[in-house]
Amino acid sequence: MNTDISLLDLRLRRRLLIGYTLGMALYTLVIVFLYPEFKNTTSLNQLTKHGSTAAALFGIAGSLTSPSGWLGANLYDNFLPLVMLLITVGYGASCLAGQDEDGTLCIVATLPIARRGILFEKVATLTVQAVVLAFVIMACTIVGRGFDLALPISHLAGISLGIALLGIDFGLLAILVGSRTGSRGVALGVTSAIAAASYLFSSLAPVVAWIRPARYASLFYWSVGNSQLTAGLTLGSAGVLALVGTALIGASIWAFNRLDLH
Amino acid sequence: MSAVISTECLTKYFGAHRGVDGLDFEVTRGETFGFLGPNGSGKSTTIRLLLGLYHPTAGHAKVFGQDPNRHAVAILGKIGYLPGELVLYPRLTGREHIDFVAHSRGMSDRTERDQLVERFGVIVDRPAHTLSKGNRQKIGIVLAFMHRPELLILDEPTSGLDPLMKDEFHRLVRETVSEGRTVFLSSHELDDVQRVVDRVAIIKEGELIVTGTVDDLRKAAPRTIEFRFPVNVDPEVFAAIEGVRVLDTDGRHIRLSLQGPVASVLQAASELDPIDVVARPADLDEVFLAYYRDTSADESLPEKTREH
Repeated sequence: MNTDISLLDLRLRRRLLIGYTLGMALYTLVIVFLYPEFKNTTSLNQLTKHGSTAAALFGIAGSLTSPSGWLGANLYDNFLPLVMLLITVGYGASCLAGQDEDGTLCIVATLPIARRGILFEKVATLTVQAVVLAFVIMACTIVGRGFDLALPISHLAGISLGIALLGIDFGLLAILVGSRTGSRGVALGVTSAIAAASYLFSSLAPVVAWIRPARYASLFYWSVGNSQLTAGLTLGSAGVLALVGTALIGASIWAFNRLDLH
Repeated sequence: MSAVISTECLTKYFGAHRGVDGLDFEVTRGETFGFLGPNGSGKSTTIRLLLGLYHPTAGHAKVFGQDPNRHAVAILGKIGYLPGELVLYPRLTGREHIDFVAHSRGMSDRTERDQLVERFGVIVDRPAHTLSKGNRQKIGIVLAFMHRPELLILDEPTSGLDPLMKDEFHRLVRETVSEGRTVFLSSHELDDVQRVVDRVAIIKEGELIVTGTVDDLRKAAPRTIEFRFPVNVDPEVFAAIEGVRVLDTDGRHIRLSLQGPVASVLQAASELDPIDVVARPADLDEVFLAYYRDTSADESLPEKTREH
């Protein structure tokens, strides 16, 4: 498989990717280092004691002072998915529709490479970005084992994979909308709106009864919203995320093959 | 001669807006085909259809006998393309662009690209966003020509180039065609067309209005004749002659547009004892403008060159 386009895009985004990853790694280390200061502050648990809707809005559930509660509330349930989506949805919207709008896609689109091949390379770049961020953060949380944040590595690996797949899926959704409309703005807007709704469905499901059935439609539920930090990422959850990704790739190929490029 | 490009009723609409409509033309192997038209006439739309970037609304195009949308990889491997508005990656240098495209095309021989870089004095070590339009265009020329494609599709290729570089570019096009390769050159720069083109098509508001050789177009176009007389003359003497239009007169000086044989005009003028006469063949820009004027083209140009 040709990797020139992937490498080019990674090169063009390296500063952004390095910046986001280093920033998130630094934030994660701060969270890890602070845990010993808060692990006995039981008053924090009042926030979630009675199924607080406010806490649920931030993706927080269960004990805040437990290792999983601390990492979930400060990192995995909200902040890391948000930053992940900033990177992947941003790239998904720009890698085809955005580059077509600014004119640089012309250089690639007139090479003897099938559109399907171009798309696969973009997906590869998307995947690399998501995996790098997720697993750099995982490495930082493993450091937490020296600071009483002793979570099973398999659970950390599972939720890291889940968040990477979450980012890839929403990045693919942005690619699909961009390929269908040719507009970076529409791709960003539609995907962000769906991601926000998906987050709300997953985070409010534990406290709002009528939303509960809808959580299965939320990619957040399959990624971080189903106790993945304490129970690990199930094969079923990973399968759903992978299946959605595969379907989005197929739809994107269909849409990109029909897109008029400038 | 086999057709490298052929179109049949090629049509592209963007919603209700017409891009091009019913284009029929052929470009044969080894020729330089000029595609003329002002901005917004449909030149770039046609090119994007030929490259498989756009999907036709109706009709079809064939490049090397294949559909550009279905066989893009095979076709694009044999094409060098210089877009009308070349956009480079702002932070990449010229060398990085050239390396990327060369590697993607599987090129290992650097000879041609190095020669082109040297020939056009391409600045390869500075980021594209720091380069002038002309210097970016030179990178585009290298990207289009360096893999020695069988077909060059060039959209406004000399845009931004200085006169010396334009000369060099015209030499490059002539060399390319002399090797049996084909050049499809879209432009509104008539200088490009006059110097290198064999055949030309003129497109107006998305429709092809004429195709022919440059010489044919010149012959078909009206010539201008100016007479100077010692006394005032009646312009009706000339206006009455078939194929003649009086463009302007101040009594002793008269300027005529002539379509057809010149004998009757000379005969009429000789009876008035002219003291000076200037006759010149139509320049290509006059031909071009004549076709583009809303009404005058229809009045002054012969049917044999008009397609619609």
